Amino acid sequence: MTPESVNSHIGRVPFFRFLAISVLTIDEMHAEAEMAFSPRVIGNPQKEYYHGGIIASFMEAMAAIVVKPEFDPLPAKPINLTVDYLRPAMKGPLKGRATVTRKGKRMASVWTVSWQESETQPVAEGLYHFLLV
Amino acid sequence: MERMDQKQIDEIAAAWASRKFGLVNEMKLKLEHVSANGVQIRMPFNPEFCADVEQTLLHGGILTALLDSAFGLVNFCAIPGLLTMATLDLRVDYLRPARSRADVIVLAKCYRETRHIAFDSGTVWFDGDETTEIARGAAAFALTRGDGAMFQSPL
Repeated sequence: MTPESVNSHIGRVPFFRFLAISVLTIDEMHAEAEMAFSPRVIGNPQKEYYHGGIIASFMEAMAAIVVKPEFDPLPAKPINLTVDYLRPAMKGPLKGRATVTRKGKRMASVWTVSWQESETQPVAEGLYHFLLV
Repeated sequence: MERMDQKQIDEIAAAWASRKFGLVNEMKLKLEHVSANGVQIRMPFNPEFCADVEQTLLHGGILTALLDSAFGLVNFCAIPGLLTMATLDLRVDYLRPARSRADVIVLAKCYRETRHIAFDSGTVWFDGDETTEIARGAAAFALTRGDGAMFQSPL
């Protein structure tokens, strides 16, 4: 499992292409990814901040990738999510990391964080549950 | 501050929906009903929002984004003098796979408003199947009140 192989799977998911997401590092428990900024992802038209739903989608994508990087053929089935918004995400790339907190036979829990300038100033954190069966 | 009349609400909603760029523009949202009691919005099917190669299954993330967008609009419609807001947190349950090429409908309400905080909830279904909910969400917002609100006049 390499970032290159995962990114080739990402290319088959229309919504991941819309997000312009690419995986930078991946192992059994972690994935790091980045998404490019474009006018399409703006939520606040005056300040040109990212849409909150895009930040949640980016973190959901990372979380699904770390849980099921081969997709086979679909990304992992999401059950629900909770996102805590900490500061606005401005024009520029958005980076993030997903960490598996628990992965059993049926369920997985994944914690995520996203940031721009520095990981010490996170934009948002998220908790995602997936059904693996 | 007094509640807004329907004309003011319609103007805010029209300005909100008429922005020329951004995700709300990409989603091509159509307003169905807007009032202080709730907003109902239609999102036409878009294959770019799908999770599968066949493009018949919407990715959950776009439903989360749709809920977040509808919460933003309902806050502007329900809360007079709202200048801007920040989403504090957002919770979404994906109740069943979103497998359809039908339009998606979202209904959002602001069910409690304080000086500083709004509490919203919303539900999502495919057009023609209102009783089969595909997602439900809730969010809290930090409110900033004042003059010159973002959607008081067309952008």
